Amino acid sequence: MGEKSNSSERWLTAHHDPLASLYTFGSCMALADLHGDGDSKLIIADLGTGAYNMKLKVYKGTNLMSENTLIDLPTGVITFHMDTTEPRVPAVAVASGSYIYIYKNLRPYFKFTLPTLEVNPTEFDAWNQARDELLDVSMLYEILDSLRQEVGECGLTTRSQRFLMCHDHASQLTFLEQHKGFLLKRQTVVTCFSTLKKSHAEDDAISCLVLGTESANIFILDPEAFTILNSMSLPSVPVFLCVNGLYDVEYRIIVACRNGQIYTLKRGVKLGRPTAELTSQPVGLIRRDKSIIVATMDQYLYSFNNKGKRLWSLKLPAPVLCMESLEIRTLGLTLTALGLADRRVLVYRDKHLVDTIHTQDNVTAIKFGRFGREDNTLVMIMKGGSLLVKILKRTARFEVEESQGPSQAVAVKLSIPKKTKLFVDQTMRERENCVLMHRVFQHDLYRLRLSTARAYVSALDTSSNPVSLSQSEPLKLSAQVLGLGPTFKLRVELQNTSSVTPSLELAVVFHCDDRIYTVNQSFIQIPMLVPGIVHVAETLVTCISELGISDTVRVFVIKGKANRPLLTAVINMPVAEVFMAT
Amino acid sequence: MATKVNKTFQPCRTNIMDPLFLALSNFRRRNFEKCVEICTELLNKNPLDQAVWSLKTRALTEQVWVDECDGEEEGLADVLMDDNTIASVARPGTSLRSAPPSSAGGPSQTFRPSTQSGRPLSGVVRPGSQGGRPGTMDQALRTPRTSQTARPVSATSGRHVRLGTASMLSTGDGSFINLARLNVAKYANQQNIAKALFEYIYFHENDVRHALDLAAQATQALNFKDWWWKVQLGRCYYRLGLFRDAEKQFKSALKQQDNINTFLLLGRVYIRLDQPMASLDVYKDGLDKFPGEVTLLTAISRIYEGLNDLPKAVKFYKDVLQCDATHVEAIACIGTNHFYSDQPEVALRFYRRLLQMGIYNCEIFNNLGLCCFYAQQYDMTLTCFERALSLATDQGIADVWYNLGHIALGIGDINLAYQCFRLALVSDNDHGESYNNLGVLEYRRGNLETARAFFMTSASLSPHMYQPHYNHAKLAHKVGDLQTSFIIVQKALNLFPAHVDSQELLKTLETHFQTL
Repeated sequence: MGEKSNSSERWLTAHHDPLASLYTFGSCMALADLHGDGDSKLIIADLGTGAYNMKLKVYKGTNLMSENTLIDLPTGVITFHMDTTEPRVPAVAVASGSYIYIYKNLRPYFKFTLPTLEVNPTEFDAWNQARDELLDVSMLYEILDSLRQEVGECGLTTRSQRFLMCHDHASQLTFLEQHKGFLLKRQTVVTCFSTLKKSHAEDDAISCLVLGTESANIFILDPEAFTILNSMSLPSVPVFLCVNGLYDVEYRIIVACRNGQIYTLKRGVKLGRPTAELTSQPVGLIRRDKSIIVATMDQYLYSFNNKGKRLWSLKLPAPVLCMESLEIRTLGLTLTALGLADRRVLVYRDKHLVDTIHTQDNVTAIKFGRFGREDNTLVMIMKGGSLLVKILKRTARFEVEESQGPSQAVAVKLSIPKKTKLFVDQTMRERENCVLMHRVFQHDLYRLRLSTARAYVSALDTSSNPVSLSQSEPLKLSAQVLGLGPTFKLRVELQNTSSVTPSLELAVVFHCDDRIYTVNQSFIQIPMLVPGIVHVAETLVTCISELGISDTVRVFVIKGKANRPLLTAVINMPVAEVFMAT
Repeated sequence: MATKVNKTFQPCRTNIMDPLFLALSNFRRRNFEKCVEICTELLNKNPLDQAVWSLKTRALTEQVWVDECDGEEEGLADVLMDDNTIASVARPGTSLRSAPPSSAGGPSQTFRPSTQSGRPLSGVVRPGSQGGRPGTMDQALRTPRTSQTARPVSATSGRHVRLGTASMLSTGDGSFINLARLNVAKYANQQNIAKALFEYIYFHENDVRHALDLAAQATQALNFKDWWWKVQLGRCYYRLGLFRDAEKQFKSALKQQDNINTFLLLGRVYIRLDQPMASLDVYKDGLDKFPGEVTLLTAISRIYEGLNDLPKAVKFYKDVLQCDATHVEAIACIGTNHFYSDQPEVALRFYRRLLQMGIYNCEIFNNLGLCCFYAQQYDMTLTCFERALSLATDQGIADVWYNLGHIALGIGDINLAYQCFRLALVSDNDHGESYNNLGVLEYRRGNLETARAFFMTSASLSPHMYQPHYNHAKLAHKVGDLQTSFIIVQKALNLFPAHVDSQELLKTLETHFQTL
């Protein structure tokens, strides 16, 4: 509850619209001053229902200012400066399918198409032959299907992929009729994108676009001519990008890929250098100062340095849904916000938990930055579609509380007792005299074995054992004394511990000093003992001594007319109490 | 003439000392029997000599005098037929009865074995430290009485009467004072002999009713000004089970005079009322008045031990050692705590100190042997155990064999371990721990039926142990008897709720039952 009050101390709720019905992710949100009037807008590429109704929405303050329809699902939204015209207004780039749509002043301005890929020759021939009606529909389906087995789904064009999804003959036929007239192209799609300043580091300097594609490539686009300046390749599909530096000077792109690896790309290289290996798929990537922070699907938060050395890791209390870096310039701090699946947003400063925001629903997207005229605004989209805007109070501080420790989420260390100096000294002795100690121990051990064996044999000889494990009569005896005296009840439990063989002709005999005790029934015949069943024999024992002393009573189990008991138990009788009071 | 005088040398009337002086001297030298003999002779000559009479009472009392503050055992009847209604669900940490099995940072039940009442094993055997409070009448009557530590039925009738008869046997011909004909009112006014008389009645005759009568009248005769009589009144009430009255008397006595004994007695009253916190306050008040008093410090640490707050108990035992470096109980308890906190090398030091102090018995060598083994000083281990075996009485030898069994398990000699556990059972038929370990060995050999019987015996012999229940449940689970396993693993968890293996077994079983 303390955390709750903390978060309400730090954040003001500026706007909450539970009916905003937004479906979007952190990469599809941007905050930018689109009109150069000092008032930042919130730009959201809404995924609509996930199939249609995709829209590019712009919020001015709490109102929806404009809506542009998108043709395909958006994968990212970014604002960047593409020219040096005054007033300095940024353009909006929306990545969607294999295109990048550039909007200026919220009007469509340019469409960039990703370069096509080489089409598999077999596939190309198959479609050509189908067009010329040398192949019928089912033949085409078979060829493409076998090709899919060979090169995988990704190796095919989207047309073939879609065709293979048609299962009945009629739909295949209509699909073929509809599409066979067009040229077969293999396109790739944008998976992630970011910006890279071209030659100046100012906030409003011209930036290049950096794209990651499904074909495991990274493209850097020229912002004016929209030509590919540089193309690099990766071993796997990139999903998160972090870019810093200047294109003309030196830059570094950190890429988290679908195979759970992090790669680094620098100016002048063509192939990504593996930097770090994750234990699971990444769900968020942030780069700050000299370290990389990655959240993974197995509920861990890792920090690496640029070389890929792991600095720390944290076990999180719930799966991570989204991640955002909070750069608070007034405090000179960069924090990490994590939206978790348990309806919380945790704010970390390095690995220290500094704030917790409780929300009504799971947060799926977070954006932090200047919104309206407020510098530090946190925009959150819930899973249910509601929009929540919180403003950071100017008085808020994010001090690491030492008493709180490194955060609750840190894995608890095992408390291994410290070894004392004495122990170390003794180990020294052990090390110096190891041979002697071993000899003495072995010598003593032999003697112990001998004396134990002697004692054991003598116990067996006198049958003074309550347990018999001989093959013929495996029996177990336990005896109890009940009562306060002078009359006690002796309760003897006999159990046959063998698995199948019953025991016959058994009897229990009690033996004691007749000056101290009298036994009511000193011989009890035991019926056949069935394995596993406990048989109870009871008798009364009366203490007749006037001295108020106690003695032992021996219980023997005998078989037939044998002259040696099978088992013996010695019962130490308690002092009879009531007798003394008379 | 002068020589004549010399010749009529006055014959010495007696060539011995004054008999009363001799008796006193004997009394001081603690030759009580001799003292009583002389006094009896003198009283035969002059039955009204109060000095002799008083000396004889004191001599007789001293013979059987017991320090009540230490080593009092609660009888069965006191525990079970206690008609003081006490909240059965006390707040945690405020009751000795409901102290949680493992709390406050001490070693867990897995490492530190517990006594029958579920408390961690203490370093010394004290009255009550083994038994504890049984839960039901059945358990109370059954468990402690089969083992060697037979608990008396009630504190008042059992032990005290036994002591009384013992004293009677020694004097032989009837009692010295006939209490029934004693004019209590007369003696109550004679302060010079009333105190001696009271102690005689209380300790020697064990007649609390008469003692109470005398104390009440004596304190009245002195206008309630003498604290000593108040303490004695409190003692009588305490013995009669009237704890609230006893508390009143002790408190009133403390107002007049600070006395260590009174603090101790008041503390015991609160313990009997199951108010350990109140008695801790009393002891701490006492420590303010008498800083560094060993008996008070020991009493505090015993309470913390009873509350399962072992770190605090050890802290106070360490304070005891600051004041009295030869305090056996403190050394033993700290040693035990170190041993079970995985520091056997430190425990070894403490036990060695005990040995140097002249304690030379089976238990000390047994403990030394165990410490040596776990501190990796192997050359000393078996020598210590050998000596322990040679010194052992019937009672202790079972534990020595049991520990040797553990050593054998530690070096991987299963056969030796088996023999040792069997030998432990020979000397003590009720050794539940050995039954449990034998069960595990049989289980490893594949004799499941025998193992099961052993686990069941172990569980019935030592109802405080969770291990046999867990082992039995695991065995039942292995042979596919899920229902039995489910029932028994819950018993194990009742005894030790934090046992991870049992919890996991229970979870597995629950998923078994829930799966369609």
